[in-house]
Amino acid sequence: MTAGRRDSGEGKGGAAAPVDVVGTPVSRVDALDKVTGAAKYTGDLIVPGMLYGKVLRSPFPHARIICVDASAAERIPGVRAVLTGRDLADLDPYYGHAVRDRPVVAIDRVRFAGEPVAAVAADDEHTAHAALAAIQVEYQELPAVTDLTMALNDGAPRVHEEALRPGFLHSGEFRREEGNICYHYRIARGDAARAMAAADVVVEGDYTFPAVYQYAMEPHTVVAQWSADGLTVWACCQHPYLVRAELAGIFRLPQSAVRVIVPYVGGGFGSKSYTRMEPLTAALARKAGRPIRIANRVDEAMLTTRRHNMRCWLRTGVARDGRVVARECRIWLDTGAYADNGPRVALAAGDAAPGPYRWQAVAVDAWAVYTHMPPAGSYRAFGATHLQWIGESQIDVLAHRLGIDPVECRRRNLLRPGEEVRPGRKPLEADLAADVSKVAAAVGWGTPKPPLVGRGVSIGVMGAGANPASTAAVRMQADGTLVLLASTTEIGQGARTVLAQIAAQELALPLERIRVAGADTHVTPYDRSTGASRSTTVAGLAVQRAAADVREQLLDIASRVWGLPRVALRLHEGAVWHETESRSYADLIATHFGIAGGELIGRGEVAPGRGDGQAAGPVFWEISCGGAEVELDPSTGRIRVRRLASVADVGKAINPQLVEVQDEGACLQGLGNAFFEEMLFDGGQLINGSLLEYRVPTMADLPDEFHSILVGNGVGPGPYGAMGVGEGALAAVPGAIVNALLDLGLQMRDLPLTPERVWRRLREVE
Amino acid sequence: MEIDRPPQARLRIGLTVNGRPVEAGIEPRELLLDFLRNRLGLTGAKRSCDVQVCGACTVLVDDVPVSACCTLAYEARGRRVLTIEGLARDGRLHPLQDAFIEHAAVQCGFCTPGMILTALALLREVPAPTPVQVKAHMKDTLCRCTGYWKIIDAVVDAGRRMQAGEAPDAGGGAREVAPRGKP
Amino acid sequence: MLRPFEIHEPATVAEASRLLARLGEQAAVYAGGTELLLLMKEGLAHFPHLVNIKTIGGLDAIAFEDGVLRLGAVATHREIETSPAARQHAPLVARVASQVGNLRVRAAGTIGGNLCFAEPHSDPAAVLVAWDATLVLARAGGERCVPAAGFFLGMLQTAREPDEILTAVEVRPLPPGTGAAYHRFALHERPTAAVAAVVTVRDGAVAAARVVVGSVGPVPVRVPEAEDALAGRRPEGEVLRAAAEVAGRRADVLEDMFTSTEYKRHLVSLLAARALHDAVSAARTAH
Repeated sequence: MTAGRRDSGEGKGGAAAPVDVVGTPVSRVDALDKVTGAAKYTGDLIVPGMLYGKVLRSPFPHARIICVDASAAERIPGVRAVLTGRDLADLDPYYGHAVRDRPVVAIDRVRFAGEPVAAVAADDEHTAHAALAAIQVEYQELPAVTDLTMALNDGAPRVHEEALRPGFLHSGEFRREEGNICYHYRIARGDAARAMAAADVVVEGDYTFPAVYQYAMEPHTVVAQWSADGLTVWACCQHPYLVRAELAGIFRLPQSAVRVIVPYVGGGFGSKSYTRMEPLTAALARKAGRPIRIANRVDEAMLTTRRHNMRCWLRTGVARDGRVVARECRIWLDTGAYADNGPRVALAAGDAAPGPYRWQAVAVDAWAVYTHMPPAGSYRAFGATHLQWIGESQIDVLAHRLGIDPVECRRRNLLRPGEEVRPGRKPLEADLAADVSKVAAAVGWGTPKPPLVGRGVSIGVMGAGANPASTAAVRMQADGTLVLLASTTEIGQGARTVLAQIAAQELALPLERIRVAGADTHVTPYDRSTGASRSTTVAGLAVQRAAADVREQLLDIASRVWGLPRVALRLHEGAVWHETESRSYADLIATHFGIAGGELIGRGEVAPGRGDGQAAGPVFWEISCGGAEVELDPSTGRIRVRRLASVADVGKAINPQLVEVQDEGACLQGLGNAFFEEMLFDGGQLINGSLLEYRVPTMADLPDEFHSILVGNGVGPGPYGAMGVGEGALAAVPGAIVNALLDLGLQMRDLPLTPERVWRRLREVE
Repeated sequence: MEIDRPPQARLRIGLTVNGRPVEAGIEPRELLLDFLRNRLGLTGAKRSCDVQVCGACTVLVDDVPVSACCTLAYEARGRRVLTIEGLARDGRLHPLQDAFIEHAAVQCGFCTPGMILTALALLREVPAPTPVQVKAHMKDTLCRCTGYWKIIDAVVDAGRRMQAGEAPDAGGGAREVAPRGKP
Repeated sequence: MLRPFEIHEPATVAEASRLLARLGEQAAVYAGGTELLLLMKEGLAHFPHLVNIKTIGGLDAIAFEDGVLRLGAVATHREIETSPAARQHAPLVARVASQVGNLRVRAAGTIGGNLCFAEPHSDPAAVLVAWDATLVLARAGGERCVPAAGFFLGMLQTAREPDEILTAVEVRPLPPGTGAAYHRFALHERPTAAVAAVVTVRDGAVAAARVVVGSVGPVPVRVPEAEDALAGRRPEGEVLRAAAEVAGRRADVLEDMFTSTEYKRHLVSLLAARALHDAVSAARTAH
């Protein structure tokens, strides 16, 4: 840990006393609830009168719905309502934050196998489930494009023939092209063709990345209830305010009539980004006139959103002395039947393609492509995970060819702090050459290797922080304790703890006196989203400002009470001090209101419009840097990871223990993505929709040695110089492993690196 | 405790849940997980994979970890069931719960109840396990957040402290179950 | 979701058999439920009646008597794994019990349930076929013994008649000069390929060999060509290699969504080489 404390510069006068709860590994504020089983998740809630919903899903990837007959199902005792496309007539039934292309429930047509066609509400789950079989649906099967090649063929059936509307959030990015192209992102810098022609050594190749399931252990779960006041939804979502906006749009309600409450969330990793099962649950509850709970099963969660599978062509040219010259890249991402977050993923993939190097010229095209497959959206470090291993692999191929050490080759070409990463966007903060040297050292770079052992490193940067719009409020109660209101959701990352630490620091309050409310759009103020590693950096800044607001109020009161200037006062342990005299916060509040009551309300916001961050973004560049040492079993093709290292460049760790565990978790998901995770389809049908057949990492997959290296130069845009982490390592790990195999002479171009794949490559090489 | 018979109940069972006797009328098809969650309100055990792979629904039946998602409630008749809600005793956490908090072995918390109960079964067989023994015993219980290292640290530490007599089994942890910062 | 069913609790094997005879296809034997309930939850099968044979006294006993280790059909994998008798008289059988599924499955799943379900990836099935274990099947009228090799007829199909109960698995300790080994390769909880080998070495040559390939085909099967390649020969280098190679070439291999038949054959050869090596080593020290 090499963090240096940096003054926040946020407060003026009466600076917080050095409680220094920031920078210490305090216990999580939600841990007690979670180790005792008291923590409530959406599926643990029971709303009086609640019914249970089940979803009937399409067996075909593409079909016209001739007729849905639910009459037999409706007659089953205990069945209260059946929702079909016909029930949406008075709504604006399409949603999607990027493109409004997804119906609440299928209308006239299904576009992927697994698409909701109807939903049943019943007194209990068994009855609801049994009623699904009683719904008669007549389909006319239509030709389907169930992979990228089919979708891109001339004359391929179009997934969306109708005119599409842009979503409310990303209208600026909505660039629909011909055929099944949903979105096209392009980077053109310099004359790439000419620069490539002048390069001394050129390498190119075709690569693939599979569809991957996020596996948040809690599958999507929603409870919806209607009342005269409007719609209330309890959901395990990451972005409650975005869900609220979409629900308001669908049901034609003012935003104030929609309330989204987020209990504890059992993991997200992007799978609970944006709007998922909320519209369907709300529509079913509306029809039934009763509260409803819908809980996805794992296979349904897989069909709700997933990571994009991808095809990629990449070419890199370098000069004889190892200087990088030009890179060209074409990326096709299978976004499935609905755009979901495909446009953003294409953008992130395109941005990741060049890597953090000093090119003369770059030409990148990234397309999100509609297919008749389940929709694909966000999964931790999207785009970067797709591309980093490919670009980093070509750097190593070229380094090997030129006889230059791969780490040395990177040192010569990596961008330096202050250099431009992408035209017109924020310059780089971090020292990448130092970061890559750290992971290299941690995996034994340059030391003798036993036979069949290889080492590799990988580095990249990803635009993080999403849109920097956050607000927060803190309410100091009459007894001097604090209620903190923020709409960043607690998805396991430790947001509630870190935000409490920031408020504690600013107000010199013991952490025990702070409570953090769960996100509730009627109570906790606006936050754009929870993702893109933004909670600490952006929401944290809003909380810091809100706490500083209360601090100023306390100082004003104390200054009046004592008749002293504010510079003569300081905050310490829940009281304002002048020399050896103190008045507790409770005292000051009582004096202010003149009764034993009242409260001080602090408000904080981060708004790009007021000059926070750069409009062009990103809020910060998250570093993705990893190293691996692997051992190959040539008889089976199985790979064992001996050492794994990651750099988490956090600017300033508000809670080092939480940073570490975020980084460790991201690394393990990186191993899963590298080695075995893959959703398998046959003609558009998911065939491994169960944890029996979809393998995620276990304790048995841990490397022998693991190093999470925290780097903090205090240069982040968040509070105390912090910047987010939690995603980078996932994008770094596959590249480090692929390069470690390259070190053994095996060039891998398809993930995951299954033993069979490695074994086949080994035989080709021999 | 006496639990009402649901309309289709055809079986009457008696069992002990977290030390308390329970009599209940159940349907034969009722799963132990649904019985605990829906009938007794013990929602600590979670439904995740639903195919007895992940371990999020783990409870101990006669001290042995079982997947409540694939076990009939009927199987628990005459037996002792321990869920995460029954682990703290006399207002004190179990040392494992303490250790999970201290080592940041908890993130989203969805796996935590099953993970802690699986660790408890291990500590009863192997009082002070090594990290290798923890990995071997707990590899079938999934966590998607932490990367497992901190869980292993927590279990090893709890075992060490219990064996050294610093923290007895069943209650006796350092922390109170009561909320933080009582006035 | 489980559809409604009734649970029957027969007190004797005869009673269970009569119930099964009466209920026919409406009934399934419930012996642990780890496979059966999964299937029923997924809606892939439904039985309105479950006949719980775990209530029959003594069916869970594990005992060594008259030179035979008898594993009661409803002994759990965990009980076999930890049984002193099993560990002493058939250590490989005890060890393979510790590899089944996961720790929760092993606590609930029974040896009889595992064998009668005839899931193609069963670890105990492959080992017991190689070991030449005997399966005891009983019905109201009496009982019969079936060699493990004759029990598995196809994927999820066995020689058990609908009104028969598997009551025990009889395992004889290996004769002098005999060693056994089992090697598996798993990408998931269930193995991708597995080979069990039991080899008797007398006067430096192979006197008897049973090579069984599991997990790659519908049922665990002996590979006679591999066994013939060993018979009478000195179990060393090229001989073992050749037998292992034949095992891979001749095994009945099905493709699945994860692995090609070519790779599975390669794995079988590899695992056969390892299993034969270990079985021969064990045989040389077993007197």
